[in-house]
Amino acid sequence: MKVVGARIPRYDGVAHVTGRTAYVDDVRIPGTLWTKALRSPHHHAGITKLDTSKAEAMAGVHAVVTWQDVPLLEYGHLAALGIPADEPLLAKDEVRYKGQPIALVAAESEDLAAEAVSRIEIEFEERPALFDVREAFDAEAPQIHQEGNWYKHFEDEMDRRQIRKGDIGWAFENADTIVQGVYRPAAIEHCPVETQVCQVVPEPSGRLTIYSCTQALYFSMGVVAAHLQVPLNKLKVVGGTTGGGFGGKVDTATETMCCLLAMKSGRPVKWRWTREEEFLCSSTRAPWHMEIADAVSKDGWILGRKMLTLHDAGAYSRFSPYGLTKHSFHHTGAYTIPNLEFDGYVVYTNRTPTTAMRGFGVTSVSFAVETHMSRIADVLGLDPYEIRLKNANRIGDTSPNGIVYTDPSTVPTIQTIAESFGHELPADYRTMTSEPRTGDLLPEHLVAQTANPEEH
Amino acid sequence: MNLTVNGVAHEVESSPLTPLLDVLREELGITGPKAGCHQGGCGACTVLVDGEPRRSCLMPVGYVDSGAITTVEGLGPPEDLSPIQQAFIHHYAAQCGFCTSGMLLAGQAYIDRGGTDDDGAIQSALGGHVCRCTGYSKIVDAVAAAARGDSFDLTETAVGKHTTMATGGAE
Repeated sequence: MKVVGARIPRYDGVAHVTGRTAYVDDVRIPGTLWTKALRSPHHHAGITKLDTSKAEAMAGVHAVVTWQDVPLLEYGHLAALGIPADEPLLAKDEVRYKGQPIALVAAESEDLAAEAVSRIEIEFEERPALFDVREAFDAEAPQIHQEGNWYKHFEDEMDRRQIRKGDIGWAFENADTIVQGVYRPAAIEHCPVETQVCQVVPEPSGRLTIYSCTQALYFSMGVVAAHLQVPLNKLKVVGGTTGGGFGGKVDTATETMCCLLAMKSGRPVKWRWTREEEFLCSSTRAPWHMEIADAVSKDGWILGRKMLTLHDAGAYSRFSPYGLTKHSFHHTGAYTIPNLEFDGYVVYTNRTPTTAMRGFGVTSVSFAVETHMSRIADVLGLDPYEIRLKNANRIGDTSPNGIVYTDPSTVPTIQTIAESFGHELPADYRTMTSEPRTGDLLPEHLVAQTANPEEH
Repeated sequence: MNLTVNGVAHEVESSPLTPLLDVLREELGITGPKAGCHQGGCGACTVLVDGEPRRSCLMPVGYVDSGAITTVEGLGPPEDLSPIQQAFIHHYAAQCGFCTSGMLLAGQAYIDRGGTDDDGAIQSALGGHVCRCTGYSKIVDAVAAAARGDSFDLTETAVGKHTTMATGGAE
């Protein structure tokens, strides 16, 4: 192996330190028009009037686009996986989050484009808005999404991601104590130093060249082609140089709209979001609401877990069903719990749509699970390291979705942490390995769920 | 108005209130300084004005008429990298690279003022710069190494102060 363990230099290091790395904003195309967006000032409202004629009539304005210019208005980021579309590229008769794009202008300068946006005539009828995922899940909450307040299209048209494993009734009947907790990590803006930016060039051949800061080039290509209803060979996407993404440049934020402006104006078009737009309008990591109730024995075994998760999708579903699915598979964390009852919902609010961020769906549940492990140790008066080692994933244990662990790392990880912090472990925990459970560490309730990895 | 940028004299046509950043990027086509926030908050647009680090997004070009500007392009070309550029490569101090030009210029100004390899002083000198990839410790290490006058092997990455993995490549 020439690379593993070697200290190879960055392939792009020289370009970075000499200012020669060409980000999208550094692409120079003569005759490029600048873009500005008319965005919703309301969290939730009906659109009762939209008239762009005064903006279109301005000298130096070369294109104004609205929902009427989009060949396929609604397309879902996960449509290719069969997840139905629910988000219009440009708002038609309703806006569901503050900052949602409604119309776009391409003009000779950024200032002129902004001036043209201000001349678009629009009227709204404000509607009730929801910002808390738990409130939005209430049966009496105002209905804010066209499909109701939560996503209803998991397999077999179930309205939730559901996991059932073992015998949850047995676990709660045989528990010495029930330990409950509610965990609510907040939204986080990815905040890349490079804001969302795109440059599109209409080529004489009829193709569109798209300079994109996307983290997900092929996703973006598919999304653009679907909205425009053109074959992929009409699009040349130039990507690979991203000024920070962290998940925030997975959604296709700018490319399709720039293409529409370039097609309508026949000119190269560029759209660079302001820092304010990046904060207010770009996708964020989701807020989550997680309720855990664990059936535990007084000597520290977790016999069963009931969990309710509400994943705040924001105004539209985008990648949220996928994020919740990953979340559900990890809802026992690095630990083995044989009896499970998990229900997870993708809930809509009037926040900006949420998306991937560094461990999509998993960071939230890891936060909840680790906090809860320590809470169980507190309640039982046990050592937080020992309770983690006791319930640790071992070879042959199975995940919530039935995957057999063949190389789990919980045991050595917890042992290393204990050592790093100078925490003295009893001998049987210090010498524990990931090998299948035996003796005192294979209680009766775990026998049935322990598989032989050789059989898989 | 006149500007000397990286030793080259330019006549500038933009109006005096145009931000220096926009003059550099849009009129002169010098794209090393980045537009991260346009409000003085991130440091990505930092250039040296007569040797002092300045936020070019907040500086009207009229204010620096006849000034000498250094951008990242003026630190050194690929075939003749300056010590701080070499330090950033060797210490893996750039990830996405978008904050790098500002960091380099702030670091260079710190060294030019006689700055040492003291971590606290370097952190203070770079305090107005945001690296959202959060590579701060490597950036501080790189500036410290350049301040010490280290020499750099650009064929491999340094073992950082905060590196905990076992070192040495397997054959």
